[in-house]
Amino acid sequence: MTDLLQLLLAGVSVGAVYTLVAMGFVAIYTVSGVINLAQGEFAALAGLVAISATGSGLPLPVALLLAILTVVIVAAVMQRVTIAPVKRMTTLLSIILTLGVSTALKAAMLLIWGPEGHGLTPFPGTDFTLAGVAVRAQYLWILAVTALTAVAVTWFYERTLLGKALRACAEQPTAARLVGISIARASLLSFAIAGLLGAVAGVLASPVYFSAWDSGLALGLKGFVAATLGGLVSIRGAVAGGLVLGVLESLVAGYVDSGLRDAVAFIVLIVVLVVRPGGVLRQHSVARV
Amino acid sequence: MADTTNPPTRPARGGTAGRRFAEPAGFAVFALLLVVFPLLAPETVVNVGVYALIYGIAAIGLTLLMGLAGQVSLGQAAFFAVGAYGQALLVTRYQVPMVVAALVAVGLAMLVALLVGVPLLRLRGHYLALATLGLGIIVTVVATESDYLGATSGLYGIGKPEFGGRRYDSPAEYFWLLSPVVFLALLVARNIVAGRVGRALGAVNDSEVAAECLGVNTYRLRLQVFVVSAGYAGLAGVAFVHWIGVVNPNAANFPLSVEFLLMSVLGGLGSVWGAIVGAFAVELLDEGLRSLIPTLLPGAVGEVQLIGFGVVLTAVILFVPGGIHGMWRSMLARLRRPAPGIGRRVVSDEDDSPLLARPGRPAPGTPLLEVRDLVRRFGGVTAVGGVSFEVRAGEIFALIGPNGAGKTTCFNMISGVLAPSEGSVWLRGERIDGRKPHVFARARATRTFQNLQIFRSTTVRGNVAVGRHLRSRAGLLRGALVLPARREERQIHQSVEETLALVGLAGDADRPAADLPFGRQRLLEIARALALEPDLLLLDEPMAGLSGGERRELARLLRRLRAGGMAVVLVEHDVEAVLALADRVAVLDDGRLIALGTPEEIRHDPAVLAAYLGVDDDEALTDEALTDEVTRAAARELANGDGA
Amino acid sequence: MLRIRRAGVVAATAALMIMTAGCAEKETAGDSGTSSGPIRIGAVLDITGAGASLGVPERKTLELLAKQLNDAGGINGRKVELIIEDNQSTEDGAAKAMNEMVSKKVDIVLGASRTGPSLAMRAIAESAKMPMISLAANVRIVDGATWVFKTAQNDSVVLENIIDYARSKGWKTIGLLRDASGYGEGVAETLTELGKPHGITVSQVEKFAPDATDFTAQMINIRNANADVNLIWGIPPAAALAQKSYRQLGITTPLLQSHGIGNQVFLDTAGDSADGLVAPLGRLLVADQLPDSDPQKAVLTKFLADYRAAYNEDPSTFAGHAWDAFQLAVEAFKAVGTDKQKVRDYLEQVNGFVGVTGVYRMTPKDHSGLGKDALVLVTVSGGKWQLLPTS
Repeated sequence: MTDLLQLLLAGVSVGAVYTLVAMGFVAIYTVSGVINLAQGEFAALAGLVAISATGSGLPLPVALLLAILTVVIVAAVMQRVTIAPVKRMTTLLSIILTLGVSTALKAAMLLIWGPEGHGLTPFPGTDFTLAGVAVRAQYLWILAVTALTAVAVTWFYERTLLGKALRACAEQPTAARLVGISIARASLLSFAIAGLLGAVAGVLASPVYFSAWDSGLALGLKGFVAATLGGLVSIRGAVAGGLVLGVLESLVAGYVDSGLRDAVAFIVLIVVLVVRPGGVLRQHSVARV
Repeated sequence: MADTTNPPTRPARGGTAGRRFAEPAGFAVFALLLVVFPLLAPETVVNVGVYALIYGIAAIGLTLLMGLAGQVSLGQAAFFAVGAYGQALLVTRYQVPMVVAALVAVGLAMLVALLVGVPLLRLRGHYLALATLGLGIIVTVVATESDYLGATSGLYGIGKPEFGGRRYDSPAEYFWLLSPVVFLALLVARNIVAGRVGRALGAVNDSEVAAECLGVNTYRLRLQVFVVSAGYAGLAGVAFVHWIGVVNPNAANFPLSVEFLLMSVLGGLGSVWGAIVGAFAVELLDEGLRSLIPTLLPGAVGEVQLIGFGVVLTAVILFVPGGIHGMWRSMLARLRRPAPGIGRRVVSDEDDSPLLARPGRPAPGTPLLEVRDLVRRFGGVTAVGGVSFEVRAGEIFALIGPNGAGKTTCFNMISGVLAPSEGSVWLRGERIDGRKPHVFARARATRTFQNLQIFRSTTVRGNVAVGRHLRSRAGLLRGALVLPARREERQIHQSVEETLALVGLAGDADRPAADLPFGRQRLLEIARALALEPDLLLLDEPMAGLSGGERRELARLLRRLRAGGMAVVLVEHDVEAVLALADRVAVLDDGRLIALGTPEEIRHDPAVLAAYLGVDDDEALTDEALTDEVTRAAARELANGDGA
Repeated sequence: MLRIRRAGVVAATAALMIMTAGCAEKETAGDSGTSSGPIRIGAVLDITGAGASLGVPERKTLELLAKQLNDAGGINGRKVELIIEDNQSTEDGAAKAMNEMVSKKVDIVLGASRTGPSLAMRAIAESAKMPMISLAANVRIVDGATWVFKTAQNDSVVLENIIDYARSKGWKTIGLLRDASGYGEGVAETLTELGKPHGITVSQVEKFAPDATDFTAQMINIRNANADVNLIWGIPPAAALAQKSYRQLGITTPLLQSHGIGNQVFLDTAGDSADGLVAPLGRLLVADQLPDSDPQKAVLTKFLADYRAAYNEDPSTFAGHAWDAFQLAVEAFKAVGTDKQKVRDYLEQVNGFVGVTGVYRMTPKDHSGLGKDALVLVTVSGGKWQLLPTS
């Protein structure tokens, strides 16, 4: 029983990180239909910046803020430079564009921070054991902050005018323009939000899961799978998807084969997409003829 | 700013006379370059060239998939690995001769692609891209976990190729060995692009619904190209494993798939040539960056070339979306004088003889199409609420009604674009509702569209050629081999000429379809539909945008088609023209059929008047006044915009 | 008309190319060595990627030694030219680099840092008849090879030490958590084989990816297996993170590590959790604790001093592998010149060469040359390596 609880705890904790990344995907997709393949790199970058900041003596909260701010700026710049200029965005274009940025970011991180992984200093708190389950303080931080963030984001999109306006952009871009919502500004804002979410994921995860120049790939892809489970347009879905994925990974690694851990996400993705493409896929169906 | 409104991201089709000389010359030059390269280049560059050729083969496959079929694959490396592992296993563990093993290995990669593609190719866009990425990861994991495949160390000890007692183990030798393989691979790819399959897929990229309605089985074609693309990747894997001598799970990893993508994009998705050019460019870039960056940034170590890759990928797709090939073509275009823009309008003679009669067609008067209690709901809205009628061979049947009456929705349900919520559609006694449009087309029925769906990336001729898709048969294999398909291509060319002459577009044959004025584009759609030699033709507002003279011409054409035994269903706002032309008329209002009869009957039907004019049933009006009112009302509707 | 011409063009050019391939001049690889000009030593190392913590100190060592050698006049008056390539810790990178070394006609190739890339290079060394000294551990690198040697001890040597230690403690079951890459392969089998005559078995085997950061699942299974002792077989950072995870889950069973942890990166990453582990390592890390009578002490002390002076940090055992490979090559060149066959033959009969990793005794059957005496048992105490007193 303790084993199960231990695995669940580990699963929920990593799942929470996936949730944050997944929400970042949803934020951008709901506004512009772009899938941001650089989302994982946002997280990795935040972790590395925070590590450097604490390494040069800054107190942890300042380092965190600095990391988050840096990534938000990077995300905004990315939108301005690569997404905004494109008049007609197609799937092919958006994949290749974000892939290019993701690769460039990865390489930049490699050049600046080198190939090794580093861990951020864990947030304040002591590890303890409860009912035979070892609980790291960092787990609690991850869960608490993710929960708060999820609530805040949901509230933003469902209750505030700005949030609703953003959601309108993807569903009815023309109508949104007609009521005075600037698609360009909306897109920029959505990237900034995604940057924020990715950065939070990165700094929360770093003490436990380590940040390296290439840790963005796995994180980004798993975050995407989590977002897909939730339909790519639903924040609540992303939250559920992230947690489910994290727990599933942990259970498979524990009870089946630890080597299959990374494959779980993709098997899940393929199964879900193939079995329920209608429910998960928002088919912008047939052309209006 | 980037002009990405019309990026040449697809292989150009539609031949011109000048091409006939350019292409074989191009191939000859290419062959010459391949032969001469190892002689002139220093050894390290030849080493790079070997990798360029190996990866280039995979990139050709990817360009076929992405450029032709419009599908992004982030998992090309997965099939690369399958080919590599297959070859390694057969050669080292089972002592299978190299060439036989290569055939099996490539076949294996294609088989995996088929199995995986059947479910996967129902996905679109991002989902397919990420599913293929997932595939790469799954292959890596399987290879890592399998002791049979050598787990993480993989398989090693694959020898260099030996033919006739000579080992090909220096870079120059291996380069020459690969050259004919790459040459043939390129040739086959180019043939696929230029042939019937390429044409069909290009059409799908421009307008999937139109292609389907012309009989293109989108899903199956995409699957075929996916499998072929995997075959190319597998072949590259075979070449790889004989050069490196070792294969391990890294062969399927994501960065390699990205590298293939970069090669395709940089070279230009619009051309399979681009894949090879891109491969050389990327490998040279790789080498160059690896030596350059540590000098610029001392202490920089590692996959430093990635920064170059990322920047180049983004920059290319933003500023030069057509890649190197695109740049080359725009340079050429600037040098070549543009052809004169106005095409002559070839006026068909005043001929009223029957057109496009077909021996196998049902006799005039036989019911061809039957629509029973057709219902379609969108959420809470009932667009069509129980419509029934039948259409007979050798008649012109008109479907009219105010805006929002459900006419186009009916068309969509009949042609398979939408599935009905209730009710059924019967074509020649067979039930076809809910089937995909290409099934409708296969039953010799097709349609045109209210919102034009011409194929913008090709010429007028190219558009009509797609219409011949079902009247020709060359599949992927025959297309690839060219020679057997040549005769068929000539026949297609001939039919296209004839069809164009019919509608008066012969003078515009080689103009890009997108350059035509709106009215001519409508005619183009009709010509394209006629090329299919249908028994049933659905026309959705064909007269919109046509001048008075053009309308008369079209009406004459339709009469000639009727005389030949075709059934034509017409949705039109030009009520006068419709009443003069049609044999029977059905009137829809608010999703319901409110009248069905001859034009005379409809002219006087009070329900029709009420629908158009909002007038009470028992208010009497004279004949002329009626027609005037109806016509004026219809004209008003027309002026206010579309939507039926 | 045109059709025939086109088909003809295609056929003709294809034929031309095939003919050219047939007539291609075969490059002669593997000269018999020149006798003047610089001696070229090639090195293919895992400088970036998963093996960076091995490759970087190895590179530093080679550069240091090459400089020292050249400052002292070189070998028989000839300078040494060191050519270092990064294989990015991948097999194809290693093969690519090895091919380049062969075309550059170097006199010997050192590397790679890890097993996988070394295996890729082996095939090329054998076919190009290029002497190669690998810095990696797996016996498959040299098993049956003619031209390939290595300076890292075989896994079996390390595992013999572990079995001996387990015997001395009366432990009968071992729980194994191993790296899923080439480094960890075959360990379970070898351990079982070595343990059988002594009644020691491996009761649980778990794997982890070299870049794994979460070990919860594996540790739970290890904990449940309840073996007498547990062994983590990996390199940093994974081995260090596994160490931390082990301690965090409160597993109190004694823990052993492999020789892969012999560097400061491990200690830094594992922190406090490293205390109490036991591992068989090279003498380098505890050189100052060795008795003066130890045959390696002098070599070790000098190496430590030189490395510290040049780089302001301590060398790891991997640096030691590089030291040994370089010096072996230099010994060979000094004795027989650069003729590749002669170099190879020399290396095969090295007997009693005192290196950093151990004292080498190569034979035609054993191109690794190190026995279990090349290692000592070391523990960690207060964040420092501590020689375990032999009881």
